[in-house]
Amino acid sequence: MAVDKKKMRVVNNKTHSVDGKGIMQGRSYFTDDLADSGSLIIKILRSPHAFAKIKNIDVSKAKALNGVMLVLIYKDVPHISFSRAGQGYPEPSPHDKFILDEYVRYVGDEVAMVAAISEEIAEDALKLIEVEYEVYEPVLDFENAYNNKTIIHPEDGIKEMFPIGFEPKKNVAASYEMEVGNVEEELKKCDVVIDETFYSQAQAHAMLETHSSNARLDEHNRLVIYSSTQTPFHMRRILATTLELPVSKIRVVKPRVGGGFGGKQAFHGEFFCALTTIKTGRPSKLVYTREEVFESSYTRHPMRIEMKIGAMKDGTIRAIDCRSLSDTGAYGEHSLTVFMIVGSKVLPLYNKVKAVRFGGQVVYTNHVSAGAFRGYGAIQGNYALEAAIDVLAEKLNMNPKVIREMNSMKEKETSPIFEIMGEGTKGTAMIMESCKLPYCIKRGAELIDWDNNYPRKVINDHIVRGYGMAIAMQGSGIPFMDMGSATIKLNDGGSYTVLVGATDIGQGSDTIISQIIAEELGTTVDNINIYSSDTDLAPFDCGAYASSTTYISGNAAWKAAQKMRARLIKEAAAYLGVKEDTVEFDGKTFVSGDKEVTLNELSILWFYNKDQHQVEVTESYIGHVSPPPFMAAYAEVEVDLETGEYKVLNYVTVTDCGTTINPMLARGQVEGGVVQGLGMACFEDVKYDKKGNLLSNNFLNYHIPTQKEIHKLTTEFADSYEPTGPFGAKSVGEIGIDTPPAVICNAIYNATGVRIHRLPITPEKILKGIKENKK
Amino acid sequence: MRAKEYYRASSLEDAYQKLQEDAKNVLLAGGLWIKKIGQSYNTLIDLSTLGLNQISENKDEIIVGAMVTERDFENHPAIRKLFNDSIAFAVREVMGVNFRNLATIGGSIMGRYPFSDVISGLLPYHVKLKFYPEQEMSLEEYLNYKGKLNAILTEIHIKKEEGRGYFKKVKTTALDFPTINFAISKINNEYKIVVGARPMVATIAKGASEYISNIKHPTEEDFIKTTELAVEELSFMDNKDASKEYRMDLTRVYIKRGLKEVNE
Amino acid sequence: MKVSFYLNEVLVTYDVAPHEYLATTLRNHAYKSVKIGCNESSCGSCTVLINGKPAMSCSILSLQVEGKRITTVEGIQEEAAKIAEYFGDEGADQCGFCNAGFALVIYALKKEYENPTEEEIKNYIVGNLCRCSGLYSHLRAIKKYLKEGK
Repeated sequence: MAVDKKKMRVVNNKTHSVDGKGIMQGRSYFTDDLADSGSLIIKILRSPHAFAKIKNIDVSKAKALNGVMLVLIYKDVPHISFSRAGQGYPEPSPHDKFILDEYVRYVGDEVAMVAAISEEIAEDALKLIEVEYEVYEPVLDFENAYNNKTIIHPEDGIKEMFPIGFEPKKNVAASYEMEVGNVEEELKKCDVVIDETFYSQAQAHAMLETHSSNARLDEHNRLVIYSSTQTPFHMRRILATTLELPVSKIRVVKPRVGGGFGGKQAFHGEFFCALTTIKTGRPSKLVYTREEVFESSYTRHPMRIEMKIGAMKDGTIRAIDCRSLSDTGAYGEHSLTVFMIVGSKVLPLYNKVKAVRFGGQVVYTNHVSAGAFRGYGAIQGNYALEAAIDVLAEKLNMNPKVIREMNSMKEKETSPIFEIMGEGTKGTAMIMESCKLPYCIKRGAELIDWDNNYPRKVINDHIVRGYGMAIAMQGSGIPFMDMGSATIKLNDGGSYTVLVGATDIGQGSDTIISQIIAEELGTTVDNINIYSSDTDLAPFDCGAYASSTTYISGNAAWKAAQKMRARLIKEAAAYLGVKEDTVEFDGKTFVSGDKEVTLNELSILWFYNKDQHQVEVTESYIGHVSPPPFMAAYAEVEVDLETGEYKVLNYVTVTDCGTTINPMLARGQVEGGVVQGLGMACFEDVKYDKKGNLLSNNFLNYHIPTQKEIHKLTTEFADSYEPTGPFGAKSVGEIGIDTPPAVICNAIYNATGVRIHRLPITPEKILKGIKENKK
Repeated sequence: MRAKEYYRASSLEDAYQKLQEDAKNVLLAGGLWIKKIGQSYNTLIDLSTLGLNQISENKDEIIVGAMVTERDFENHPAIRKLFNDSIAFAVREVMGVNFRNLATIGGSIMGRYPFSDVISGLLPYHVKLKFYPEQEMSLEEYLNYKGKLNAILTEIHIKKEEGRGYFKKVKTTALDFPTINFAISKINNEYKIVVGARPMVATIAKGASEYISNIKHPTEEDFIKTTELAVEELSFMDNKDASKEYRMDLTRVYIKRGLKEVNE
Repeated sequence: MKVSFYLNEVLVTYDVAPHEYLATTLRNHAYKSVKIGCNESSCGSCTVLINGKPAMSCSILSLQVEGKRITTVEGIQEEAAKIAEYFGDEGADQCGFCNAGFALVIYALKKEYENPTEEEIKNYIVGNLCRCSGLYSHLRAIKKYLKEGK
């Protein structure tokens, strides 16, 4: 039942994040801030080769070094394959990783670990480990990986949890095919067919806090791990399985996280902390260096995507054929799921086609492993599709805005793709109960004065401004899979303590969950203490991914708050001796006719004086649909035609994410995503040398956007309400990142006549294109 | 980076003697580059109490102590007055304020870093380096000096002249190394055209500079011809950040623009 | 080797290794507001004030700050709380890892410049990276904060 936005007091109102002030004042609650003093320092010996087998490894000198407490090699750890991906069980990613293995599959792969009483001793010990490798020819070109004579995963004991197209002997981690209608037939009937191929690059998350974890044994001899993670519950399960411990003996706590963006949705140092603490009884910690984050965590999946689109003269798009090849690097975390989203959260934008086909493979290479990263396939797919739509528009002599208005998703419509494609498995059919895409397109065009400015404005003999656009969609959690829960406890005095599994990694879930609960219970955010992401104390939540915290965790919080409200009213009615439906509750006082009592009074009675009991509720939620947020984005780009250099003068977005639980944080999510997307479109490039060494392994060589590259961001939200979302909300965490590659590609083309098919869009590529066009 | 000892020098002679004691003893300026290289040293020799962090001027020149931070340098009014602020601007292009409050002018020069904006920014001007033990040479001579100079840079002397300057750093993002950088001076009718980070260290394009210096009222064609001479006489290379060809294209464009600007 | 300096106005003396950087020393003495983001002079998370000027604490040896005045965010609590309000208004309050460094830089900016232009503000803060916020919200927040009390 829809809640009137005008009546909302807390939701959809300006609210500072619950922790912003404390963090700015320096309260130290990030993972490394909480490491036990005297923790053993863990360092990892990493492979210098892109593909090799350990023939001999001698750790005796390292072990003998004073202060070294533990050295582990592959023979010392359980040989159980698993997936590092933080996903639900059974994971849709292949189990192709061992904690330590005799094979090393990329430069930076783990060879051995050392735990010592100081960082210096640990570093010295690494230098004393002698390794003899049998070096193999690595696979460094994903377009030649399939069936390559080098097999990256020749070992036994690896498996898929259910059919995902896992063919390791051919270097295939996963594959997928689907077709609606008959694409070949439809294309033949089309007046115009375009066929374009695009390449998107690997991208590094570059979150400011490096991966960090630390462990200790508590007084029950249970393993307690603090980790900068997006998925504490999945971590507990996977640690239990790989270390052969009961789940009940492990506690995972997520402190403040300094950014994740998907980069902390897999597991890294935790295995080593766990093993060290279990074997030595001492607390231990592993803080990744910045180089290790670049070289040995993971990147976005680089891809090649071919789009064939057929349309009639009048602009009706009839068929889309999308084929993709994805490079998952050395290990297959998130391989199938990212791949599928290239199709499932992109192609439905043009839902009125008669036929659509999507398919391809995810291959192994000896690159840094690829994994989850905001957008999760949608940004790669969006680049290819939205740039291709512009190619089509030009061929049809149509305005890019008009062709999108004609063909894109509208409210109450659907797409057959929703039912077919889910998260590694089948999907869920759904109608778009909220879709303000037409408004977003129209409003965004107004904000950039599209009708007057498209395609370009010539400023002088070498400066041109180009205008480009794109539309996008994402999802809100994974239906029938992602679960969130919330527990609300009443305290004496009438305040509440909220326990949620939901994982705040900076996106503000602690805040918006507090807002949802405060709204429902008629109170304010500072009357709520929220504590999250402790696997012992909080109820389950899948974690911060797939844009699920607002929708899934938020709905769980809302359900719990509704239950609490009902419970309080019931008990207040009993106390007052009246019927429940006569009681009005404004958050502080229960009133029925001329009888009243305050929550404060009741809480004290319930704690100390009469019918003493703890009032507490828990509720869970799983999604039955995954309502997409939608966005239209436009950019004004100024290009220097003599050098190819360009500036993004204004990036306009209009987003439909349903109700904005917190309008300022929602704006922060969109703008933060946009700038990361601009990073991928314009500046960031993961580069290797010929031997597979990562050249872009620090901030000097990997360029994320700085204050001086961002000129203007114009950010608005559509007035929208999603009936299945908490107070009408949908997700907003990922959609911001999806559009910049296509928007910049389109704007540059409109300015210069050069279309860049390979990201990032660099001045050098633009100038090269300009010179070639002149010939 | 590891070091066995930290030594606060009490005088330049003291620092110099300490430096001779062991090949692994090293002078500590701002300390930023030492951290990056990450080697093992014996003794770090601290020069911070030797009064090398002052800027003074007389009627002919500005005297910059080698330990002056980049930030103090770029903010100094006398430096900003020089050549329409182009030298200070070059220094302001380096990283951020929290970096430049630590990095020293002396440290940037001693390392002869090919990516240095500070060196490119100073090279077109009359800049003299003074060392201890007593020795002096121009910045250009120091860049061409073969081998490592066993001396301590104490002062950088910048001749005060009337003229115009231009500096341009081409880069991906603001905190990036230069893809290439350009510095041009015009003092009386004499031009010096410098191109750095090619990726090689800043070099004066002598032929091009001489050519344009001989033209009293240069035209557009003269500027273009000058850029062609510069592109021919300088060497460029590919690296992971840009191709040789692109660097040459940028040289043609920015030298022309710079020449126009110094002639305004 | 011993080093003495003023930490948030209090004279402290610590025993440090010759190659120990200020960020590590501060964190080892419970000033964990100082964050290490890259440990190679590129991100600014470790920014402190040295004699009132922003400096990367991961890039200066503790022994180099003998006698100097070091300010961490613990020393500007009231200002940090104010800056947090402005950040909160703009949705710039996300993961917070960069915040302590930013609070100090913004505080120093206000002291160093009377009426900075937008370009001067950007030049002053560009050395502090932020990956969450999109950066534009920082600029909006800082402009409003600088206007406060004028």
